[in-house]
Amino acid sequence: MMMEWVSETAAIFRRWNTKLVRQPIFIFFSLIQPLVWFLLFTQAFSAIGDIPNFKQLTGTASYVTFFTAAVVIQTITSSALAAGLGLVNDLESGFMDKMRVAPINKSAILFGKLFSDAITIVVQVVIILLIGVAIGVEIASGLFGVFMILILSAAFGMAWSGISLFVGLTTKSDQTTLSVGLLTTFPLLFLSAAVMPLGLLPAWVQEVAKVNPFTYVAQAFQSLIIEGFVWDKIGNALIAISIIAAISLTASILVFRRKIR
Amino acid sequence: MEDIIVVEDLRKIYNKDILAVDGISFSVHRGEVFGFLGPNGAGKSTTIKILTTLLEKTSGRATIDGLDIDKDQAAVRRIIGYSSQEVGVDDDLTARENLLLQCSFHHIPKEKAIQRVEQLLETVKLQEAADRRLKTFSGGMRKRLDLASSLVSDPKVLILDEPTTGLDPQSRQDIWEYIAELNRQGMTIFLTTQYMEEADRLSDRLCIVDQGKIVAEGTPLELKARIGADIITLSVRSDDPEACETASTVIAKMEGVKEVGLCSVGISGDKGLTVMAHNGSAIIPQLVRLLDGIGVQIDQLTLSGPTLDEVFLKLTGRALNVVERKGAVKGRGWGKRGKRP
Ligand SMILES: Nc1ncnc2c1ncn2[C@@H]1O[C@H](COP(=O)(O)OP(=O)(O)OP(=O)(O)O)[C@@H](O)[C@H]1O
Ligand SMILES: [Mg+2]
Repeated sequence: MMMEWVSETAAIFRRWNTKLVRQPIFIFFSLIQPLVWFLLFTQAFSAIGDIPNFKQLTGTASYVTFFTAAVVIQTITSSALAAGLGLVNDLESGFMDKMRVAPINKSAILFGKLFSDAITIVVQVVIILLIGVAIGVEIASGLFGVFMILILSAAFGMAWSGISLFVGLTTKSDQTTLSVGLLTTFPLLFLSAAVMPLGLLPAWVQEVAKVNPFTYVAQAFQSLIIEGFVWDKIGNALIAISIIAAISLTASILVFRRKIR
Repeated sequence: MEDIIVVEDLRKIYNKDILAVDGISFSVHRGEVFGFLGPNGAGKSTTIKILTTLLEKTSGRATIDGLDIDKDQAAVRRIIGYSSQEVGVDDDLTARENLLLQCSFHHIPKEKAIQRVEQLLETVKLQEAADRRLKTFSGGMRKRLDLASSLVSDPKVLILDEPTTGLDPQSRQDIWEYIAELNRQGMTIFLTTQYMEEADRLSDRLCIVDQGKIVAEGTPLELKARIGADIITLSVRSDDPEACETASTVIAKMEGVKEVGLCSVGISGDKGLTVMAHNGSAIIPQLVRLLDGIGVQIDQLTLSGPTLDEVFLKLTGRALNVVERKGAVKGRGWGKRGKRP
């Protein structure tokens, strides 16, 4: 039973990877916006690094270095939020029906896709980090730190993909799936410690940021980039990611069970 | 003969108010080709989706090879092969990759899968295109691949939803041959179609469905015998716009003529008449003389046995209109269709 699940998931995982390699453009689509941010934003707002307290609060006087975490998060979320599109397409093309009449575990359909999304996200984050290094970002935690960033990215990506899968399966509409993605990412990013250190945010935003999972993921990335391994921040990020994953994946599995017999 | 599919009083209501399948019952014998002939919106796909366990029925009962479609869902899925109307293949993959993927869904070991795929590619004559992505495939090639992919598990029952809709005559002919061959090898096949010619040619027995109901059931011969008449179709050449009407009144009074109807003939859509008669060939000479007598010239005249088209017309009062739908082969919307007018 377990063996079957593994082989089914692997088959579906390979299918999505093949599709991705054949359409490499999709890797770059969701990179466009983070890249624009990375290159323009950090140039335009480099003065933020000169704000008194900035260095004290963040450990670096370079806004680009601080902002790298926000770009990584944006990369992950914009990629993850397109995850549902693939399933919507399968529902429309009849391929989903074909998978469903085959004697496979339904969860393999979801997890094969999720694992493939995770790989995509890892590739994208690697590209972003390389560009970061090229424009002068130094990663304090070194190569192991980069691995940690990639692991967190993959986990956060799968958790966030769950939301897109849920919306995609519920609405069966790619328009809606994409707009929900756009509408949630921006406010969450700006109301977190990703773009500005907590201490520089207005009081009410700080309150929101403290319950915003993006804050904890951002702080883990920031610490890995600026300081090195700070385990309680990594731990907090993992807790935040687990909570999102528990909710989003349960929801998408439930809707999958209910809508897709 | 033993029944392999048994359907009793099956009903499906979508969204509480769209009655798509209205209490149908039928059974399919083991080893036969069973056809479901009906126009757009008749409820063919709905019935098929219920039988393939993809859709929940509203009420009724159905079994395949003794397995209940609800209680033994997993077991049913193991013994059926299904090709959907939408053609469920992945366009980014090659033909071979599509088939190998299906094999892994059916847990066929690698070596065996490679062999099986080779054999299926040969069956549907796609060896040369095997390593091309489907983006470059024609509708006919996609349908053939989809058919092959429903065969990877060597199913007991093959369920095909409109296997040739939207195809050119040659591709249609090819698919007909594969289906006939599979059936010769002992596979039970349940198929839907909008083409009476297809139903007539392939099915051992068939149901004519309309608006969610079965309006007739039997062998193609039995159904055609219900018309009990030959059909003479003729078009007239005349300057008189009333010529057809005049001719029709005259012909209707002839001995041996059951019914006369106005119709348009051929692609040109010339005005013409359909005459149903008990013994068509016997009345033709008289018919020609009669029309000559009233000054109506015959342009074309054909005599044929009854077709399922006439059966459908007689049973429902409407023509079995085959509307060639754009995109019928390539991706149809899922659950996006409107109500029946
Ligand atoms: N998901 C759905 N939701 C609501 N109504 C539906 C749905 N699917 C089909 N219907 C309706 O049910 C009826 C039967 O549709 P069905 O697809 O079974 O017909 P069909 O015989 O397969 O027609 P076609 O030849 O066009 O494929 C139609 O009136 C259709 O509009
Ligand atoms: Mg249909």
